[in-house]
Amino acid sequence: MRRPLIGMTAYAQQVQYGSNDLMAGMLPMTYIRAVHAVGGRAVLITPDEPGTDVIESLDGIVFSGGGDIDPAYWGAERHPETEIDKERDESELLLMKAAIEADLPMLGVCRGMQVMAVAGGGTLHQHLPDVLGNDRHRGAPGTDPLAAGAAAYGRHDVRVQPGSRSHEMLGEFLTVNSFHHQAVDDPGSFTAVGWCPDDKVIEIIEDPALTYAVGVQWHPERTNDLRVFSRLVEAAARRSGGGSTWAPVKGAGREEPLAV
Amino acid sequence: MRPIIGITTYVEDATWGVWRDLPTTLVPHDYAAAVSLAGGRPVLIPPEEDTDVLRVLDGLVLAGGSDLGPEMYGQEPGPHTVVRPERDKAESRLVRAALDRDVPVLGICRGMQLLTVAAGGSLHQHLPDLLGHEKHRPAPGVYGEHDARFEPGSRIAELMGDDLAIRCFHHQGVDDPGTLTVTGRAEDGLPEAVEDPGRRFVLGVQWHPEVVRDRRLFGALVAAATDEI
Repeated sequence: MRRPLIGMTAYAQQVQYGSNDLMAGMLPMTYIRAVHAVGGRAVLITPDEPGTDVIESLDGIVFSGGGDIDPAYWGAERHPETEIDKERDESELLLMKAAIEADLPMLGVCRGMQVMAVAGGGTLHQHLPDVLGNDRHRGAPGTDPLAAGAAAYGRHDVRVQPGSRSHEMLGEFLTVNSFHHQAVDDPGSFTAVGWCPDDKVIEIIEDPALTYAVGVQWHPERTNDLRVFSRLVEAAARRSGGGSTWAPVKGAGREEPLAV
Repeated sequence: MRPIIGITTYVEDATWGVWRDLPTTLVPHDYAAAVSLAGGRPVLIPPEEDTDVLRVLDGLVLAGGSDLGPEMYGQEPGPHTVVRPERDKAESRLVRAALDRDVPVLGICRGMQLLTVAAGGSLHQHLPDLLGHEKHRPAPGVYGEHDARFEPGSRIAELMGDDLAIRCFHHQGVDDPGTLTVTGRAEDGLPEAVEDPGRRFVLGVQWHPEVVRDRRLFGALVAAATDEI
């Protein structure tokens, strides 16, 4: 039985490891392990150039976390706290539009959720402390805010809209970790279906017209609650033919990359 | 649609931005850039024992990295040998499955050594002990620059043409090439290129063509992968 192939957008980032200091295509293993734990097979999509043809070989896609999106994409001036990653923006917005067009099952995590909103014509808050007067959505790097005894910074509840697809998947309340300083303001073509009850920051967006298109503002890959990944891989398995047959991937439905 | 070229990756504790020592799957960006520039669509393959990913790959790059576990070629580890057993296990399976399917493969540095071991060959674990010099890895972060000699009529000779300059960085090397053919050597006689003429495209090089985005080698892989489509 073959596993559905899940593309994950990767960073192209200067990293240090051992005695090395170099530009690498990379992604934290937490993401890879989350996809593998629920039965998918992860491959990484690097932001090399804007082609989207790789979409045709995937059964599902994860838009990963990372830096901020250039506010020029929704017509705003750049906030001094906004740190953009131009290559990833271009590549991921193109991939996102192509993935929506192809109805490829997709999950957006943190920045990935924000890419969904912006690709759908929405907008972001560039710096939540300006909106909320606090920085409670930004847990300290390297911490697990869900661990017993952790500080309240970087942990909060989410209330999920009854009747939404996410409600059916997650129930009405859950507690999540939180590592962001930007957030979705207008979700564009997506629907906001989950909020932090304390401050109404949008935490979940979805598009019920697509097979599976969910964005979450937290980092499920760093927790034991992988339901959003499980549903992605289930949808991907259905798309690839139930997981028991070889799908006609090669040569099927090839098109030129979408122009945007 | 461009051919999809898988690139194998490392798993290391990496540090970037505000993040410290997070287990990360990574590969130098040069590899992906070289594949893109040559007309392929790179995807990075995190180590995993399942070789199912081959169904979407038109070609495969075995990237550089740590030393192969010497048990793979019947030796005990020497004092300078640094291994990553999980990656060894995953990549061994992947390369064997790729060869079974005759998927075009370009092995680079460790990747050439992996092709060799998969072909039943063996490695020298620390070249300075054998050669008495450090020209293949002069210093941390410094590539050794050589002119190689290529076997007339071989694929690599045809690809390289008159420009024989290579840049290498390794402390292990091919001893017995197994069922592969050595088609290039350094001035000191060390194998620098191996091929399997019996397959559509199996080429291993001991140097680092990705650093200069060498379109001769990556272009040849992409061309072979395009035939696959």
